[in-house]
This record gives sequence, structure tokens and C-alpha cells, in this order.
Amino acid sequence: MGEIFLEHIVQIELKQVTVIPPLMHEGQKRKPIIQNVSMMIHKGEWIALIGRNGSGKSTLAKVAAGYRAAGVTGKVANHFHTAGKGKPLPIVMQQPEAAMVGATPWEDVLLMLEQNELPAGIIPMEAERALQSVGMGERLHQPLGTLSGGQKQLVAIAGCIGMQTPLLVLDEVTAMLDPEASSTVLRQVRELHENGATVIWITQKLEELLETDRLIAMDEGTILFDGQAGAWFERSAPSAKDSLCERHGFEAPYAAQVAWELEERGIRLTPFPFTAETLAKAVSSYGR
Amino acid sequence: MGADWKLSGVNVYAQSSAAQKQLLHEVNHTFKAGEITLLVGRNGAGKSTLLETMAGLHSIHRGSIRMGNESIWIKRGRKDRLNPEVTLKLGLAMQNAQSQWFAASVREELRYSLKPYQVGDAAAEARMERALNEAGLPPEILTQDPWTLSGGQQRRLSLACLLACEPEWLLLDEPTAGLDAVGIQRLCAVLAAHRASGRGAVVATHDLDALLPLADAVAVVSGGTVRAAAAAAAMKHAAAAPQALRVLAELHAEAALPPLELALAPERSGGAPWPAASEVAAALALALEHRTAEHTQVAVPEDSSSPKQKFLADKEDAKESELPKKAINQSSGMRSDRFDPRALILSYLVLAASIFMQQSGLELLLAGIATVLLLIPFRAFIRPWIGILRAYAIMIMIFCVVGGIGLDPLSFDAGKAWPIVLRFGKLFLIMMLGMPLLNLMTPYRLQRAIEQTFGWLGKLGVPIHSFALIVTLIFRFIPLLTGEWERFAKLAHARGKADTPLRKVPLKNVHAVLIPYVRSILRLAEQMSDALEARGFGYKKGKPVYAFRLRFDRSDAWLLSIAGGCGLGLIVIRSLL
Repeated sequence: MGEIFLEHIVQIELKQVTVIPPLMHEGQKRKPIIQNVSMMIHKGEWIALIGRNGSGKSTLAKVAAGYRAAGVTGKVANHFHTAGKGKPLPIVMQQPEAAMVGATPWEDVLLMLEQNELPAGIIPMEAERALQSVGMGERLHQPLGTLSGGQKQLVAIAGCIGMQTPLLVLDEVTAMLDPEASSTVLRQVRELHENGATVIWITQKLEELLETDRLIAMDEGTILFDGQAGAWFERSAPSAKDSLCERHGFEAPYAAQVAWELEERGIRLTPFPFTAETLAKAVSSYGR
Repeated sequence: MGADWKLSGVNVYAQSSAAQKQLLHEVNHTFKAGEITLLVGRNGAGKSTLLETMAGLHSIHRGSIRMGNESIWIKRGRKDRLNPEVTLKLGLAMQNAQSQWFAASVREELRYSLKPYQVGDAAAEARMERALNEAGLPPEILTQDPWTLSGGQQRRLSLACLLACEPEWLLLDEPTAGLDAVGIQRLCAVLAAHRASGRGAVVATHDLDALLPLADAVAVVSGGTVRAAAAAAAMKHAAAAPQALRVLAELHAEAALPPLELALAPERSGGAPWPAASEVAAALALALEHRTAEHTQVAVPEDSSSPKQKFLADKEDAKESELPKKAINQSSGMRSDRFDPRALILSYLVLAASIFMQQSGLELLLAGIATVLLLIPFRAFIRPWIGILRAYAIMIMIFCVVGGIGLDPLSFDAGKAWPIVLRFGKLFLIMMLGMPLLNLMTPYRLQRAIEQTFGWLGKLGVPIHSFALIVTLIFRFIPLLTGEWERFAKLAHARGKADTPLRKVPLKNVHAVLIPYVRSILRLAEQMSDALEARGFGYKKGKPVYAFRLRFDRSDAWLLSIAGGCGLGLIVIRSLL
């Protein structure tokens, strides 16, 4: 993804959005879940949204997707046309099973597209295309109960694709999966992204990041960092241990830890590698 | 120092009567006290089953489980009971342990876990405080509703519930799933402290990055069998390599890293079986300095068995061995989209009506024969219901006896009992005929059948489409309700340490469980509606959209004509008799 001059079409714009939940009972503190958040989402971006438990990631994603939530102030504007006019965008969550109503992947996607009022004539075709695009084409009629967790996630993602959503919002979809299923899901979504999909990928796992990702880190309801993922790992001096990642208590990927150790030994790799592949490339091209 | 945990020849079968699927096969393994043992393996390999079996949540078909000299199952009368000597010494946190709250406050929640241990009030308070502290929760939290805590706090609370019981053994199922980095560090610290006091833990996990450095032993679970493995070897059997290995493999593949003896050394001092980041960096730095100094290309021979390729090759092997199992899963009898739900329901009504018209015992017998013959192709769908059929048959007999008995003088009047047999017999047949229906149509197809048949009512203002969708959702919800009840029954054993038969909520606990159950059902409903909303359901619709329509085809015609023929035959025979 070297195109820096990617069409900068703004899809969603948040301006000073604050969410303060209504009081549940007396004596509770009114603490905002997210506070004064402004951001823009461009077409074709991969946004990795990270943050600790309870930092407001999910709420931010929900607001961006257009959900009505109690206590939202600020401006949320979107500039796209969806199949479901004016409706919020679909979100895939940790456990998609809760919302699966069909008995097979095919039924489930069909039912979702019907409920979202796509033209009846194109639904069966769209459903099959969407399921094929996530690699579930051979399991259209397999009972849902016999699918693995990762496959169920893919079915849920296929539902969103079938709706031609302009933005895929994926909220920790790999948290409950085993590593193999996680990497399958991640690979499929990366492929969709390469074909032009805009993705918000919420995660706890920094090893899922790529160099080209836009990284947004949240803490206590505010945005800590918003920029190229590489800057998140940058230290001011080799042994300063002051990168944003370290200062905010995130567990850096192993490759980043190796790269930091190399910096401390006087070997500075640019751009800073934090995935296994880029580390290997940077090392093998170093000094040549 | 606690006692070792010994499993010998353990076999466990799935408890549903539908299929006798074997979950664990001849498990022989000893878990040593004072050690942390990781269970690794793919999803569905049987890790959770093994943990739950060790905790007594599955009855064992064959074999024995002993902690020291105590067996976990003891014979009392006809049935096996759990041995409290053992169950009180273990604490199990099941998967998703964070969403299993019973009580209205954190204090009561901890109390529930402590109840079987019969500790005094003061001691209980002290234990609670200590457990919260260890798990990293402030004491103020005691008065809060556990459901209002954040996800991370709920996970900590589930750990605190275990720690408050001060068990000798911790059994944890995927404890790091969904935890942030700080939470994982704390969990590791708790585990280390637990081991330092001479106690043991068995942890099923995918998160080798976090937990392998801590482990003393690793057991690989695969296809229901368990074997011990060295930590380094275990990594091959995990579903994915830890990050360090992937990094090393990439470095070797790019020939960036000279062959290092530190890679994959079987027994390393520092805990983790992979080199620390600083060790790799040191080796790399050395190699790179050479390169810049000499400016000559270091020729690294392309080793055919580079770790990356070797690793991939092992993966392939593992994949292939999984294949046959999947093929077996595919064969599941008749597909649910074979018939049009309308044809099914119509056939059912015809048959039910004709059975209902039968009057004499002979006619009932004929109807019974016809029913059995008709059900032969669907026998697989009846099997799960056999328990209910048996119970119903026993009920008929009891009614007959009660109905036929005369007290003054004591006698049995068959003439009085006979009508009862006839009436209930007919219902019995009709019930049997209805049993395969649920398996033969999916909720969605039923929804469409309703919409296509009664859609015109929509024009008259009847909300038929909402109704039809509700039918689908209800069918989706019923299994959730029973699943939730079984989960509560499991919890009664895991946390309440009940010693009653499995999969049933003990009678003395029912009152305590009922309100939490209703609460959790409401919560489920709320989650479901949220999730449905997130998928675009429930917004006001214009015209209904049908992406597919049911069509009445040949198999439906066959079904209807057979059902109609049988029904008609029964009626004709009846008029002839």
C-alpha cells in the first residue's frame, strides 16, 4: 500500500464527541466514557484501535458507526451511501453467535440482508459472493452449530460485506479465538482491505499491527495517539525507554523488543520494524 | 506441599444421548503439586473437557482420577458422588468466567464461593480482602453489583473468587483471553505466588507468549488424548507459534541471522524456551558489526531444514491428522432444507387428524404400526427424545392403574382403564410424529412459510412479518435458555461444590439459583437484542423483502401423498372394521 495519494475521501468525521452515560443510581459518579474526541476516517484506511479494558474503544467505534447511545454530545457526520439508508453500520463483536439467527451461513447472511432491505433480486447472489469473499464458499449450507468460532466470525463479517458497508467495524473479533483461527480471520480481513475496504480493527494484540496501519490508542476516554503505527514505538534516545508504547504500559511485539535492543547496541533500523517480516528485511538489508 | 493429581485410563463420553461421542480417550497423566502445567492444543482438542473432568464436571466412563490417595468419585449407594475432600481442594475458572455472576453484590458473590468452606464471618472477611488485593481490586468494590464492573474488573473478580477459597489446585481455562497487558502480568504474578507456596495449577491456554515462560510442564491435548511434552516441543503442537519463534523463523529465512545455538535450545534457564529479545539482539549486533567492518557478503548456505520450513512442515502434518475427523462431522443425516415446511405441517395435520379419529384398540394398533413405519426414515431425529417418550409411557401406565382401581372393594376395573389407554395412546403417537419436525425445518424456512401463507394479512394491518420474525428468534432463544440452565448447574458444582448428579441444579440450590437465572436470561435477551441491532435488525421497514421463496417441489409432493395415503387408509380401514 504505497499510495500516499490515496483518494482522501473523508467517510466519517467526529468533532469533539463526548459520551456521558446517564446515571444508573444515586451517588454514582458521572464519568465520561469518551471525552472530546475528534477524528476523521478516510476511505481505504486500516485503523487499528487499541486501548486497555474500559478505555472507551468500543464506544468510540459504536459512535463512529452511527449508533444512538445515551448521552452523546458533539458532531458525528458521515459521507457515504449505504444500502440501509440512515441506519448505523453493522459491527462485528467478540461473540457473533449471540446475533446469529440463521441455521446455516447462507441462511444467516440472507436473513441479515433481508432485514436490511437490500433489493430482493440481488440478495442470494450477494450473500454467496460475500461468503465466498471470506473463504466460506464451501460451507454455505453447513449447520452453523458445526462451525468453529473463527468460521462464525467470518460468517458475521460476510454479513457486513453483503450489505456493502463502507466501513467494516470489527470489535476484538479475535479475542476469543485460538491463534490459528485468529490469523485466518485477520488474513481474510487484510485481503478485504487490500481490495479497498475501510476497516476499524479493535484489538488488544499489538502483534496484529502492520507498518502501513493508522494506529489510534485510547486511554480513559481520550485519544492518546493517532498516526502511523511506527511512531508509536519510537524512542527519543536508544535506551530512553520512553516510546508511547512503553510509557502507556502496552506489551510491545517481540520484533519491536528486538529492534529496541539493537538500537541500544548502536544499530538503528529505519523504518523502525515491529513485525517479524520487516525486522528480518531491515536486518538483512542493513549496511548493504 | 499438596498431593499430586493422577489420571489413569480416563475415558469420557459426551452426555447427550443422541451420539455417543468420545471426548477423552485413555488419559494417563500425572499433574505434580508445586508445578504449573500448561495444556496446549487446538480448539476442540479437549482441553476444556479435561479441566472440567478433573474438577468432576463430567462423569468418567472408565478410569480413575485421584488427588493423592483420595479418589474424586466415591460410590455411595447406586450412584457415584463427588468427593468433597477433593473438590474443596480445587478451584476451577471456566471459559468466560467473567460472566457467571449469581449475586447482587461483589461481597455476596465471594460469599457464594466461600460457602462450602464453612469459614467464620471474620475469617471470611479477611480472606475476601486478601483475595481482592491479590487480584488487584480495591476493597470498595465489595458493595457493587458485579455486572456493573468493567470487563477487566470482572475477570479479576473471577480470579478473586478462586483465590478466596485458597485452593490447593487452580484450574484455569483460557485465563488471558481478552485481558490487557497489565491484567496478564498480574495473572502471571498470582500464578507464580501460588506455585511459590507449593501448590499447583493446570492452565489451558493458547497464549504461549505470556504463559510458557512460567510453565514447569506442558501437556499436549490432541483428539481427546493427553501426553506430556517438553516446552520447546509443545510449541509445535500449539495452534500458532509464539511471536519469538515467528521472528526467529523470519530472520533465518532472510538469512539475516547466522545459525544460532540459542535458537530453540530445549532447556533454557530463563523460563521461556525461546531466547530473550536482548539475546537475539546481541547475536544480531555481532553479525551486523562483522558485516559493516568487512563489507563482505557472508554466504549463508540455504539450509533445507531451516526452522521456518521445519515449523511449517510440522504444521502440515498436524493439519492432515485433523482432516478425517472433520469428514466424520459432516455426515449428519437428512438436511433441514429437504422439505417445504408447509408440506411438513400439512402432512402432520392430516396424519394427526386421522389418528385422532381411531376408536378401538385394534384401530389404535394399526395407527401405531403406520406411525412407526412412517418414522423409520426419520429415526435419527427421534433418538434424542427417547427419555421423554419413556416418561410419557410410564405416565400412561400410572394413569391406567389409578383410573382402574376401585377401593371398595379393592379391585381393578379394566373397563375403566381402557379408555385412558386409547386416549393417551393416540396422543402418544401424535407426539412421536411431531418430534422430527423441528429437525426438518429451520426457523428461517418456517418464518418464510408463515410469511408466504399469511402475508396477505399484512394488508389488513396484521403485523404478520414481525410475528414471523419473532418465530425465528424464539427458536433461536430456546436453546440458549436450556444452555444457560446447564451452565448454572455446572457452576453449582464448580463454585458451589455440590455433590449431586451432574447437569442438574441440586434441589437445595434451586431457590438460590432461580433469581440469578432469570436475571441472566434477561441479560442474554438484552445482549441478543444489542447484537441484532448491531447487525441492522429492528429498524422500521418499508415493504418486506423476500430474498428467497419456498417452492413446493417433488419431494414435498411425495411427502404429502404418502401422509395423505396413510391417513386416508386408516380412515377407510376404520369404516370397514
